[in-house]
Amino acid sequence: MRRFHWISLIVAGLTLAACAGRRGGNEGSVAHSTPSTRSGNTIYREDCARCHGPQGEGVAGQYDETLYGEQSMTSLARYIHRTMPDDRKEKTSEADARAVAEFIHGAFYSPQARARNTPARIEFSRLTQRRYRESVADLLSGFAETRQTERSGGLQAEYFQSKGMNKKDKSALQRIDPIVRFDFGTNSPTPDITADQFSIAWSGSVLAPESGEYQFRVTTPNGARLYVNTDLAAGDSNRRDDSDAKREEALVDLWVSSGGVERQGSGTLYLLGGRSYPLRLDYFKFKEKTAAVRLEWKPPHGPWTGIPSSVLSPDGSSATPIIGTAFPAEDSSLGYERGHSISKEWWRTITRAGTETSELVAERIRRLAGLPADLTNRTELSRRMQDFCSQLAERAFRRPLDTELRHRTVDLWFQPGVALEDSVKRSVLAVMTSPRFLYPESEGRQDSHTAAARLALVLWDSLPDETLRKAANRGEVSTPDQIRAQARRMIQNPRAKAKLRGFFDHWLDAEAADDIAKDPKSYPGFDAEMVQDLRTSLNHFVDSVVWSDASDYRQLLLSDELYLNAPLHRYYGVESLGNTNRGSSGGATNALDDAFVPVRFNPEQRAGVLTHPFLLSAHSYYRSSSPIHRGVFLTRKVLGRFLKPPPMAIEFMDDRFDPSLTMREKVTQLTEKPQCMACHATINPLGFSLEQFDAAGRFRLEDTRKPVNATSEYQTADGKTLTLRGPRDLARHAAESPDARRGFVRQLFQHTVQQAPDAYGAGSLQKLDLAFEHSGCNVRQLLVEIAVHTATLDPKNPSRK
Amino acid sequence: MKPTLTSSPRRRFLRDLGLSAAVLPFLGGLPSLQAAPRKRSAQRIVFVFTPNGTVPNEFWPETAGTEFQLKSILEPLAAYRNQMLILKGLCNRVRGDGDGHMRGMSCLLTGIELLPGNIQGGSDTPAGWASGPSIDQELKTFLQGRPETRTRFGSLELGVGVPHRADPWTRWTYAASNQPVAPLSDPYEVFEKIFGQVKDRENLGSVLDQVRSDLQRVSQKLGREERAILERNATLVREMEREISEAGRQKLRVAAPVLEPGIGNENDTIPQVSRMQADLLVNAFANDMTRVASLQYTNSVGQARMRWLGIDDGHHALSHDPDLNTGSQEKLVKINRWFAGEIAALAQKLAATPDPDGNGSLLDHTTILWTNELGKGNSHSHDNIPFVMVGGGLGFGTGLCLHLDKTPHNRLWLSIAQGFGHDLKTFGNPTLCSAGPLPLG
Repeated sequence: MRRFHWISLIVAGLTLAACAGRRGGNEGSVAHSTPSTRSGNTIYREDCARCHGPQGEGVAGQYDETLYGEQSMTSLARYIHRTMPDDRKEKTSEADARAVAEFIHGAFYSPQARARNTPARIEFSRLTQRRYRESVADLLSGFAETRQTERSGGLQAEYFQSKGMNKKDKSALQRIDPIVRFDFGTNSPTPDITADQFSIAWSGSVLAPESGEYQFRVTTPNGARLYVNTDLAAGDSNRRDDSDAKREEALVDLWVSSGGVERQGSGTLYLLGGRSYPLRLDYFKFKEKTAAVRLEWKPPHGPWTGIPSSVLSPDGSSATPIIGTAFPAEDSSLGYERGHSISKEWWRTITRAGTETSELVAERIRRLAGLPADLTNRTELSRRMQDFCSQLAERAFRRPLDTELRHRTVDLWFQPGVALEDSVKRSVLAVMTSPRFLYPESEGRQDSHTAAARLALVLWDSLPDETLRKAANRGEVSTPDQIRAQARRMIQNPRAKAKLRGFFDHWLDAEAADDIAKDPKSYPGFDAEMVQDLRTSLNHFVDSVVWSDASDYRQLLLSDELYLNAPLHRYYGVESLGNTNRGSSGGATNALDDAFVPVRFNPEQRAGVLTHPFLLSAHSYYRSSSPIHRGVFLTRKVLGRFLKPPPMAIEFMDDRFDPSLTMREKVTQLTEKPQCMACHATINPLGFSLEQFDAAGRFRLEDTRKPVNATSEYQTADGKTLTLRGPRDLARHAAESPDARRGFVRQLFQHTVQQAPDAYGAGSLQKLDLAFEHSGCNVRQLLVEIAVHTATLDPKNPSRK
Repeated sequence: MKPTLTSSPRRRFLRDLGLSAAVLPFLGGLPSLQAAPRKRSAQRIVFVFTPNGTVPNEFWPETAGTEFQLKSILEPLAAYRNQMLILKGLCNRVRGDGDGHMRGMSCLLTGIELLPGNIQGGSDTPAGWASGPSIDQELKTFLQGRPETRTRFGSLELGVGVPHRADPWTRWTYAASNQPVAPLSDPYEVFEKIFGQVKDRENLGSVLDQVRSDLQRVSQKLGREERAILERNATLVREMEREISEAGRQKLRVAAPVLEPGIGNENDTIPQVSRMQADLLVNAFANDMTRVASLQYTNSVGQARMRWLGIDDGHHALSHDPDLNTGSQEKLVKINRWFAGEIAALAQKLAATPDPDGNGSLLDHTTILWTNELGKGNSHSHDNIPFVMVGGGLGFGTGLCLHLDKTPHNRLWLSIAQGFGHDLKTFGNPTLCSAGPLPLG
């Protein structure tokens, strides 16, 4: 018996999981054969409030603790049924317990309810993992311009004839190679070179699309060394060098071949998304029978694949010091990451990361502090290292140091008898573990430095750069105009692009969709590489909209284009109306298999992210579509509506249904009970409007040999009934709905600020939404306005503007 | 101040040691702490490599047996004459791909052929890495496999002036076929590997007090809810301070050596680096962090310019000069005497350190085995390769010079394995092991 386990397909964040069936079953399910005669509210008022207070706040002398917790409604109900009321022998019936649990869960017990009830205020927060890593990288690279390299489309390649084992004879060919995947067999790569011995150097940069661990892999029967995110030293050349010149350590070293047998080596690096990293692959062949070389990577969510030309550039870049310490996962129970929990594990991580950062600085101190190699006088060395540590502390604390703080943070550690290296390490460690670095609002007041710090966090998840710091020192990050001017400058920086990418991954559930697999019998060819291509395709699409001049949010919903490379085109391109004329995203590599180009579709069939195959397949089962997953995603994320967690656990088991039923018919049957329909009346029609797409996101007209019915009646939040005849109607509604728009503003705010909008004054959301609407729904401008709004606020007096 | 600006070996160690995963951040992985003494003393060995052959007339004693006289090159070791075992007549009989230097180096501890590859010397065929493990790594695997001989590192691979490039001329120890082990040539890096956790703990311990007072200062400017969060943070700081002070009460048996700061890793600092590595090695033995080590001076074809001896020429270039060039021969004698002096210094440190198990000195239970990739530089001969042992613990005869007759050196590795109780029947190329271990007792 084959079951479809929802749980494995459900993307994180959908509390629908509770409804979709806990497979262990230990949560049990509360029988509701005898329905309660009183409402939950009434039961609470009559039986509970005398001890717990009308809002669960407690009653002195009875039960004075606030009713607040994280238990699920089911277990809460079971607890009440078994134990309550405490002062009476007869306990609450199952039905009443269920009703009252549902009431208190929604009214004040659950974290969501509590967040809603407590008047919003700015939560005092520490740096989250992402903010910590970004800050350290920028701190140590001194904000060297992490320009995203201009050109993309491949690596610079230089081919050499060699003589006597990789002694360069002559440079025979220079060109850009879009991808390193060569099998020369027994031949030479170009007619100017003999087949017995030659070498090739590939150099340039690789752009990391998102933050996470990347693995790199080289495969060759010949000699090769791979360097990633390393500033090369003099001895690192693609040339035979038997001297003892200084060399950097290669990430993958396969220099010495072994019997002409193909070997493989790999290495792992944590990379921050949106940045370019220097990459070089040195390769040579000497008298082995055959020649071949392949460069691949495994990005955070993807399978092993050739590094696509779209992330490779022939331009160089400089290395970014990145800490490798692993962090505990951040709390995102409210739908966005927050840095509010202070745990033992977190503090250990901070001390480890601080130790690692202190090592990184101590290793680079001469270069970072600009100390000449011949400077050996200890007093002078010490003085200049102290000055450097003081600058580092100012950047990390986001404001200048006074004499006393400088002494405690820097000079205190430079004592006679302590090695300078240890002094530097202690000073850096003191900075990295200080509340002034870890808690950006630790000053508790509003001035130019606070505003600068907030801008940098909201727009970059990092520290102020030099321009911003200088302006803050002059007190010129103060008026809304000054702040807005800075924000407009900052949004042009690649860090802002990386940050927005992170938001869209979150908004579109892409960050959590790790394991999209389809039944190979029903979906031949839909493999891990295709999923990775779909992810890339979605990124291209979102970038093309967000970074166009208009940056119009509505285009995300309304566009009739998909970005396809050749494999995707073969799979999804049947109904396409042909390429648009706007050129390819892969630069000069139009002809390439892996270049993504925008392709137009019938607007009745495709509508922006709503019908992007990545999202359609992520919100599907192994074999069939899932209108419920799609509907929940549309309700919560796209239309910005609130959904209560499902009241009971029901597992969808495909084989329990008459096999001749369509998916729509099965879902209708499954959710027909009134208590289900409370939410499914909203969820189902939205999901049904996408039923013309199968589990892989391909357009279809039939399901189970019956015509697909994608028409449904949908009730909007303000009670109007809409007839949705498919994706285009849905997209039009989403693009025109003020609720959806405001939901988008709220989600962008929460993700970028890590706080609730109303914490920045009642009406914050409405104000930002209005500006958004007037800007033509310009996403980049919205982020600027969010940054300005939060940066101009006095935390002690949120109403003062 | 350490002047290197290279990538971070330290972080590699953090991962290798699993420090990041340890429950307590800086406590794990130091089994040498507070180990109980044993009845039987531990056996140790350090393999020492120096390159480019020797000067046979000034190296080999004229007579075999116990009545031998030390010649010029071995004179610096005179104090240890009675703890010495000199083996003349051992030959590296491994053939196959690779030039004489490559095979001399990469077949020395492995006793097995090189794989065909793409590294071309000045003559012969190109070759790759050795096709089997080296004897030091074999011993490591054996000793780490038994609880009573298991140590924190199992083996340490140290270098002096080894160039930062990996090929069959620069690697002599191998974990397995095709898997060379890189020696650590930077003593500060070795220090980090051995004592890094202790250092980190010290640094962190010194900073936490300041963090706590900073939390307090910052709190004063903030409201009640903010203060509660910072107070929670301060509690965690206090907990960690307590853990660190408890960990600080655990002491190493022998304190970490104090390294002279600021010694670069280059030609002219070879003498200082040599002594620093010896200090670290002896300390690691004394704290029982390893029983097996190797110490590699430069590399095969090494070009050290021993200006500290008044020699500006590169070592390898000198070693090619003919026997009749007396000027070069004198320099080569000086160079090899200097190496012998470094061995003597190591022996002296071991002799001056008490055995942790309370039986005599470390040297009494440690064998220094000094060898070379060639017998003689200008002939690239693999015959009569220098093999000199100093120390004890393996049950071999001492105060002895043995003349063997063109004996494959694989048999010596069998003897050493048996000395450690590892009953190896063959090692490396089995056809070179048919006569079994050498009788050295």
